[in-house]
Amino acid sequence: MKHNYKKKSKLNILISLSVLLIIIVAIVSAIGSANIKALDVYRVIFSKIPIINKYVNMEKITDAQFAIIWNVRLPRVILGILVGASLSVAGVSFQGLLKNPMADPYILGVSSGAALGATVAIISQFEYVKYGFSSITFAAFIGAITAVFIVYNIGKINNKLSTNTLLLAGVAVGQFFTAIMSFLMVVNSNDMSKIIYWTMGSLSGKGWNPVKTLSIPILLTIVVLIYYSKELNILLTGDETAKSMGVNVERTKEIILVLGTLLTSLVVSVSGIIGFVGLIIPHITRIIFGPDHRILLPCSAIVGAIFMIITDTISRTLISPVEIPVGIITAMFGGPFFIYLLRSKKKMM
Amino acid sequence: MNIINLNNVEFGYGKLKVLRNIDLSVEEGQFLSIIGPNGAGKSTLLKVINNIYENYEGNISIYGKNAKDYKRKELARIISFVPQDTFLDFEFSIEELVFMGRYPFQKRFQNDAKHDYDISYRAMALTNTLEIKDRLITQISGGERQRALIAKALAQDPKIILLDEPTSHLDINHQIEVLELLKELNLKQNLTIISVLHDLNLASRYSDKLVLLKDGQILKSGSVEEVLTASNIENAYNMRAVVELNKFTNSLFVTPIESKKRNKNTSLPSIHLIAGGGSGQAIISRLLKEGVDLSVGVLNVGDSDWQLAKSLKVEMVEEKPFSAIKEETSYENLNLMRTKDIVVIAQVPIGHGNLLNLEMALTAINEGKEVIYVKENIEKNIDYTNGIATKIMNELILKGMIVLNSIEDLLNYLENYKRK
Repeated sequence: MKHNYKKKSKLNILISLSVLLIIIVAIVSAIGSANIKALDVYRVIFSKIPIINKYVNMEKITDAQFAIIWNVRLPRVILGILVGASLSVAGVSFQGLLKNPMADPYILGVSSGAALGATVAIISQFEYVKYGFSSITFAAFIGAITAVFIVYNIGKINNKLSTNTLLLAGVAVGQFFTAIMSFLMVVNSNDMSKIIYWTMGSLSGKGWNPVKTLSIPILLTIVVLIYYSKELNILLTGDETAKSMGVNVERTKEIILVLGTLLTSLVVSVSGIIGFVGLIIPHITRIIFGPDHRILLPCSAIVGAIFMIITDTISRTLISPVEIPVGIITAMFGGPFFIYLLRSKKKMM
Repeated sequence: MNIINLNNVEFGYGKLKVLRNIDLSVEEGQFLSIIGPNGAGKSTLLKVINNIYENYEGNISIYGKNAKDYKRKELARIISFVPQDTFLDFEFSIEELVFMGRYPFQKRFQNDAKHDYDISYRAMALTNTLEIKDRLITQISGGERQRALIAKALAQDPKIILLDEPTSHLDINHQIEVLELLKELNLKQNLTIISVLHDLNLASRYSDKLVLLKDGQILKSGSVEEVLTASNIENAYNMRAVVELNKFTNSLFVTPIESKKRNKNTSLPSIHLIAGGGSGQAIISRLLKEGVDLSVGVLNVGDSDWQLAKSLKVEMVEEKPFSAIKEETSYENLNLMRTKDIVVIAQVPIGHGNLLNLEMALTAINEGKEVIYVKENIEKNIDYTNGIATKIMNELILKGMIVLNSIEDLLNYLENYKRK
């Protein structure tokens, strides 16, 4: 496969993917029990933008349709975009940084920490809402950050981050946190189903609040990570080579790790542990667009977003009105597709 | 002009010192090779010069400025580094890899400018990688990968290039290809090259200066002739070697002979060997390998047996080059024979010049010394004296000289000697 995308074609790819995302946003927002046309979704969006809203014809849209699109479907789709983009970008960064194809956003213990935090909040029945976030979200975030903090400090030897120690510490701390969570679950079996549902991840019923609060930090973090794409490329040639080429290896690694875990923690605390996206989307984008992070990072953000909102739509419509946790759908549909790509790539070579 | 100066540099992990008392200067346009046995600190020295290992003691200056005062990117614009065994698992094309070399010159989000294109393409042209620039680095041969990595280093537009064993894991044709390329860059672009090399002969063939490291210290540095001597090699590698001028490459060539670790074997009898003209080479190396206490003589200086015996430090009686053996020299030889248990005669051609060697053997056997003739080739005529040599040989046989047909037989005989 040839990956020589020059400046122009890079831009073309990004524009095409963005257009595709915009189209899919309308389609998935229209799908569901209520009778909604895809174009109505754009009308609703434009009606909320000053100046442009004067030119939008809203006559055919009923108040009920408007409410469903604006209050239910759109916030959920946009949250899906944020979650999918964050997990994919974090996955690409970790795989590149740790030079390990098995790496995903959860590899440093974020998921287990978040799950333990959420479990504690659920069984303590402690109700607290601030800025529209529940105590579960706060507890999950604190749990995630705590786990990564421990892993990070174990992995740092003589002020240097050792990749292998980091990975092993991530596994060990993750298992430990999961064990505590399981223990708490067994002791408080009443809350078991609620905890299990949380750990399987969901985007349902969050409203505009998480989107409003998270979009700016998430977008900023993604932009900063893209800012480091040249360094990520060079780090692939080895730490010592990177150092000799003028990269501040230790600082770059720290920044990427901190930003990646921040991204993951933010998303996980809101949506629960949605698996597979952060592992598979980076590989799929790498197979299609090559290993250059300057194109890989933005592309994976968009591809991750598209994948997330499609799978979320499937999760809410497949056996409607019952919602399937989206983590199940991502693995069920993403797995076979990934295997297909892997095999067709092997045949090509 | 000295562009790199190392002053009393020390480096270590904890208490273990990997480098000690390193004083070294490198001139602009020099091709310097760092040689030495495994674990001598060769790669470490290279990485200390490149500031990859920062916590060294002592002082390193590059172009007159302390290496620690350089910013990373600033240093990367002067020195580029080609590491050993770069494991590249990600599917970059050669072109993408080479363009990475422009990193120290670019600002963030700055796209590759025309200038970057020019330098990268020139680097690929110089290394013959232009025609394969679209191939993936996971799908090219070891030699091609090494050339691609050198191209990346050249895209850094450096004044100095450091290489850590650029020829390891390459076939001999690729080894020569890579070193020819480096030599060409060295001569045409006036690029200063510092390379760790395993192969002493490649080092001697391409370098202007050698640094021989042992146990983290510089054992010897200087020109190839100064560094590549049998005694320096023996000292560093604990191995005997012969150093001679290779006629094809016009450079010094090192042939390892044997490991020095073996001690003299006192259970075998001591031997004096009469040889010459290369007839004794196999016997000398076999007997030394078994640890026999050996002496040789008389040999003319410059004779091929003499060269071997000299380089292996065998006790020897010498005569001037191309001249007949003098009487006093041959008596010296007889005295040496008297100190040994057995006199061995190799199948050496006997002329009037070395007839005295045979006569002294006769004297020895008359004194009761045991004499063995190793006649490896029955067909071969050794008599160039119109029958005098043959007469003495027959007399020796009459006096009880043992004739053996191979070196193996000789060794068997020596094995059983003690039991007699």
